[in-house]
Amino acid sequence: MSQKETHSISVALAAATCTLLGSGISATVDAQEEPAWDFNTSLLYYGEDGDRVKDFSVSAIARRMFIDDRYLTLGLTIDGLTGATPSGAIRQDVAQTFTRPSGNAAYSVAAGVLPLDDTFKDTRLALTAGWQQPVGDTSQVSVGASASKEYDYLHLGVNAKFARDFNQRNTTVSAGIALSMDSLDPVGGAPAPFSPMLDVGDTSNRLGDQDKDVLDIVLGVSQVISRDLVVQANYSYSKSDGYLTDPYKVLSLVDGTSGDTLLRSIAPGVDGPSHQFLFESRPGERTKHSIFGQAKYYMNGKVLDASYRYMSDDWEIDSHTVDLRYRIPFGANRYLEPHLRFYTQTDAEFYRLSIPDSLPLPGHASADYRLGNFDAITAGLKYGWRTRNDNEMSVRIEGYRQTGSVPADQLIGNQVSRDNFPDLNAIIVQFGYRF
Amino acid sequence: MPSSYSLVIASSQGQKRREIRLELAEDAWHGRFQAMGSPCELVCEAKKRHEALELTELVAGEAWRIEDKFSRYRAGNVVHRINTAGGRAVEVDDETADLLDFAVTLYNLSEHRFDITSGVLRRAWHFDGGDRVPSENIVSDVLRLVGWHRADWRRPFLQMPSGMEIDLGGIGKEYAVDRCAGLLREQGSSACLVNFGGDLAVSRAPEGRRSWKVAVEGDAEGEPAHLIDLKQGALATSGDARRYLLKDGIRYSHILDPMTGWPVPDAPRSITIAADTCVEAGMMSTLAMLKGAQAEPFLRAQDVVFWCRR
Repeated sequence: MSQKETHSISVALAAATCTLLGSGISATVDAQEEPAWDFNTSLLYYGEDGDRVKDFSVSAIARRMFIDDRYLTLGLTIDGLTGATPSGAIRQDVAQTFTRPSGNAAYSVAAGVLPLDDTFKDTRLALTAGWQQPVGDTSQVSVGASASKEYDYLHLGVNAKFARDFNQRNTTVSAGIALSMDSLDPVGGAPAPFSPMLDVGDTSNRLGDQDKDVLDIVLGVSQVISRDLVVQANYSYSKSDGYLTDPYKVLSLVDGTSGDTLLRSIAPGVDGPSHQFLFESRPGERTKHSIFGQAKYYMNGKVLDASYRYMSDDWEIDSHTVDLRYRIPFGANRYLEPHLRFYTQTDAEFYRLSIPDSLPLPGHASADYRLGNFDAITAGLKYGWRTRNDNEMSVRIEGYRQTGSVPADQLIGNQVSRDNFPDLNAIIVQFGYRF
Repeated sequence: MPSSYSLVIASSQGQKRREIRLELAEDAWHGRFQAMGSPCELVCEAKKRHEALELTELVAGEAWRIEDKFSRYRAGNVVHRINTAGGRAVEVDDETADLLDFAVTLYNLSEHRFDITSGVLRRAWHFDGGDRVPSENIVSDVLRLVGWHRADWRRPFLQMPSGMEIDLGGIGKEYAVDRCAGLLREQGSSACLVNFGGDLAVSRAPEGRRSWKVAVEGDAEGEPAHLIDLKQGALATSGDARRYLLKDGIRYSHILDPMTGWPVPDAPRSITIAADTCVEAGMMSTLAMLKGAQAEPFLRAQDVVFWCRR
């Protein structure tokens, strides 16, 4: 049979169909296969002001759909971190010298300047894999694994989640569990808690590798209230065990009256700290409880997404987060999404600006500002659009501002007049492309 | 997070309980019901629930009408009258006559391999994934009742030798899909996708999305699905991963050649076709199936969009 003859079959078939169906035929077919892989990629820049942390991150999530609503998801993220981060030591009216975390060199900080550790430089590679599939008509199960590697840190994790629909799929109840097993091999070795910062080349206070295990459990329920309103509530429990200390953070050992950091004598010809600094010490356990509530409200194409989280842990940090997003579509395939986030936390029970020599050493202490008393606000705008070939692009720009304070009863002598908790400002720029 | 809620409307049709379920999922209403042995659904962009319900009732009503009228399992309908006429001529209505005319065209286009009288071969063949391959004798016995050339069709009268039967099942579902899409267009309704057991058609191009995303099933061994963006037109699939016989390492497809009474050798496991109408897509995939090993060259010559799995 020649090509011409076969082609005539489709022409004859079309004519016969037209006779059968009458005039009801609409338009010429327009069908094309979608690639079975779906990629979601993003490029993120996070930059704190001044010489502080800059993070450049590239991530890609690939999702493959199989029959019966089963999905394989693979993720890859590469982070490049640079910049300086507060070491935990306080400002002084004189210059201060510190031994680098590696123990191989020293660096100095000018008088009146907040001591920052500028050796903070790292590249992180993170991989995730997940599988999701329905179980019967009303349930879904997903399992996953994750791994990430930094120069001094290795994370390995597994997770599983089960969800079941009730009430004609208006109610979904879910339970998830995640385990992670992390190991740390800090530059120069992890310092013993409360051990002093030593001279360059002296490693007598260094310990070997350290481990940390984390168990997370999340129980959730989501409910369709009406066609326009969906609400969700979660409870999560998180328990960390092991080495929870930041091996690069120190505290200044200060005079109990003046509040100034005690000087340290150095042997001639040796490089070492000018003042007395102690490496921080955190408890070996942390248990967090959080509750989370979210409502999504659809209004003629606009979507309001409001959520609140309360977290409380046995380090006595309590935090509140309110997050608001409002998606406003315009034109056929564009939207704007303003975003506001408010955050506030109380300080950890062992948060200290410094350690006075006049009092006995506390059980644990850290001057890490992230364990301090602070408020933060994030405000931003996202603009998203659909490209001509039906891919999605978005740009997000946000500003972050953090303001904190040290409890007044911790300020000693000269510390009262210094800025002990400088503000932190950062900008976040993200490009997203989904294809 | 669930994005759906349901509403069940039930009605009684004879002994059969028929119900429509309405669900909101992924920003579209899905009206679901059972007809012609398949799960059926209408997906529509209607804003309001009552509008979606009315459209689903319209579509389900038409599907059930076609099922009642042309199913060979329903006593008293036109197909039943033809199949039990005992050699007498039967006068049929216009719609049935149109379908018979269409079947004649396909019979001729397929070199007599598409034959609405071949349904009786099912007495010999049971495609249930098992290994019951019938004997040559049984097949040749049944084959004596197959062959449109034995029928005398003079519109509106059909006369066949006693014992012969017609089965419009090979056309009915696609015909129903196109009829429903046509009714929706007449209504001027919001854009809809009519999907009867995987044979589907678009009433008109969607507005709130670029296209309807349709997943065409892979096979039972977990072969991934094709995801098809359908903006206009229709899709139909022939072949089914679960309907075959397997004996002595030979896989017998459920596509029977009425000339031999045996499965078409080397037929693809499934063929999905995109065409202007569901009828064209469905008939083209059946015609290709009947070509066996030559299915793909045949389809390439048609200049149609197709997905073929072996």
